[in-house]
Amino acid sequence: MRVVTSLVGAITVIILVPACALLSSTTYAFADGERVTTQELIENAEAYDGRKVVIEGEVVGDIMIRGTHAWITVNDDTFSERSREEGGELTGISNYGIGVWLPAREVEEIRILGGYKSKGDRVRIQGVFHRADPENGGDMDIHGTYLEVLEPGYPINHPFAWWKLILILAFSVVVLLLGGMWWKRSRAS
Amino acid sequence: MILKPSRDDAKLIGWGIGRVILGVGLLMTVPLAVSLICSEWNVALDFLIGMLCCTAFWLAMELTCKTDRDFGWQHGLIVASGGWLVAMVFGAIPSFLSMHYETFLDACFDLMSGYTTTGLYLLQDLDHLSHGMNMWRHLLTYVGGQGIIVIALTFLFAGTAGAFKIYASEGKEEKLLPNVISTARAIWMISLSYLFVGSALLWIALLREGMPVGRGFLQAVWLFMGSWSTGGFAPQSLNLLYYHSLAIEVITMVIFVIGSLNFALHYAVWTGKVGEIWRNIEVRSFTFTIMLGSVILSIGFAKFGVFTHFSEFFRKGFYILISGHTTTGNSTVYSVSLYREFGFIAMWAVIMVMAIGASACSTGGGFKGLRMGILFRYLRGEVRKLASPESAVVAEKIHHVKDIWLDDPMVKGAMFIIVCYAVTYALGAMLGIMYGYDPNVAIFDAVSAGSNTGLSAGLTSPLMPAAMKVYYIFAMWAGRLEFVSIIALFSFGGASIRGRKGRKG
Repeated sequence: MRVVTSLVGAITVIILVPACALLSSTTYAFADGERVTTQELIENAEAYDGRKVVIEGEVVGDIMIRGTHAWITVNDDTFSERSREEGGELTGISNYGIGVWLPAREVEEIRILGGYKSKGDRVRIQGVFHRADPENGGDMDIHGTYLEVLEPGYPINHPFAWWKLILILAFSVVVLLLGGMWWKRSRAS
Repeated sequence: MILKPSRDDAKLIGWGIGRVILGVGLLMTVPLAVSLICSEWNVALDFLIGMLCCTAFWLAMELTCKTDRDFGWQHGLIVASGGWLVAMVFGAIPSFLSMHYETFLDACFDLMSGYTTTGLYLLQDLDHLSHGMNMWRHLLTYVGGQGIIVIALTFLFAGTAGAFKIYASEGKEEKLLPNVISTARAIWMISLSYLFVGSALLWIALLREGMPVGRGFLQAVWLFMGSWSTGGFAPQSLNLLYYHSLAIEVITMVIFVIGSLNFALHYAVWTGKVGEIWRNIEVRSFTFTIMLGSVILSIGFAKFGVFTHFSEFFRKGFYILISGHTTTGNSTVYSVSLYREFGFIAMWAVIMVMAIGASACSTGGGFKGLRMGILFRYLRGEVRKLASPESAVVAEKIHHVKDIWLDDPMVKGAMFIIVCYAVTYALGAMLGIMYGYDPNVAIFDAVSAGSNTGLSAGLTSPLMPAAMKVYYIFAMWAGRLEFVSIIALFSFGGASIRGRKGRKG
């Protein structure tokens, strides 16, 4: 009897402990207002649909004001930490970002947008995630309620690539030589 | 007996390819100008290096390959197929120098994708890319849509009697005008006229949607180039989803539908034959397949239950369906959404229309509406034959600018190309499955590459195996040139090794 009880106890522990761990991790991942990445949102859209989420990332591209609201795009991939133009590492993944629909007054704080010449403001957005937003033709987006600028953006310095200029000079010599030969031959014929 | 190509054959081909590469170098002046205007100095240097490399290659070919012979069919086919490959390598130089690519192979992939108006890309950190490089990407698709050879013919092959042979080798058999150089110029005239009108409309729409004037102008031109050429490139990583705009989606949809139509049809309409739109076999074929696709898509959406409102069906489902059918690849959803949010049935509706593709002699890829029309009429004729008395003569015709009676060589020709496409799709899919990708995703991306569409269900990325990148480059190239030139190139290579020496005319 004692052996049977021990066995049942052991089996219960073996089954219940991972199950509890799994459940707790599930609860943690999908808790309302939890910080998530856009990759998690896109890949688990059904699970996050209609939930409050928090994302942090770089504002890239444009602010498109439409009446009382505005669209911005927030990227939170590795290039949002350090863009390729700043020497950020190539990770094999292109950009990960999401459109955020916010009251226009919330975007007034944004000063710099990410692009070739600048690193955009790093922001934290709180809002509701939509898998297929009925207000916006089924877009996967976030209806933001709150925006906070965490770090201001800055201009990206592109030091002049002298090695490219040297390469140009070298190629120019080759082209001039070939061009001279071609011109001579054309005149002769 | 296979004859070994003579030295003169090789020289003529080298000379022709040299001219094509000069065309690529001249094209780089546009992004160079944009880089200089936008003070992107390092990007300007990248294009200068690219231009010098192209010029050096052209001069080397002029010096070593100049010959008095004119092009035969075989030369035309090889200049077209080989020219595209060499143009890919030279065009990839400034792209690779931008440092947004892991390897030169990735840059070549994007170049081939651009030239062939596919739209798949391996570039990383697109959202921080320079204006100059964005102009290069979009210009490639715009020019690739008309055909690299068409641009070379327009400016660089004037006076060459064998020009039609190069022109036809690029997957365009129809002459709009008696002279092929005039035909090439007519194609450019049509495309440039649409460029002005389409870009202006998009610019107005972008300004209305809150885009600043300068960026709005550039983005309007790029969006037009991506849509018209059925390339599907866009300047932001979210593609058309970035704009969250019904107006932009409708305008681009109209542009890529017009862009996917046969240039001969455009020319007929331009010259006053408006009724041709309703009678043309390709328009009818396109209408039928898009209706069929819409029905399947609706069933899929109803079953999956994510996009349930009409606006969602139109902006997500129908937009993607038309984008796929015209082999454009502009997208209003994330790549993974095609797999996760569309469901199995809707995803297969998109695969079906991508495989069929756009019109012959257009900027699009795929089987083409003309061939689907020929096949359908042929099958209808066979059924009618079975149902008719033995003595009855049953003949079928199609209307494509003029009435054409179907004959066996025409049907066989259409069947041959359809089988070539199907094999290309199947091989790509098998390769993807062998590398462990989900079969649906592997099939989706393989069909997308082979039909020059550019939609992706998430497989295409810089992390995909190199062998798949090489195969996709091949599939895009072969699909765009419709196989005949590619077969000629391989035959030429084979004959050079195994053929017997002999005199060639």
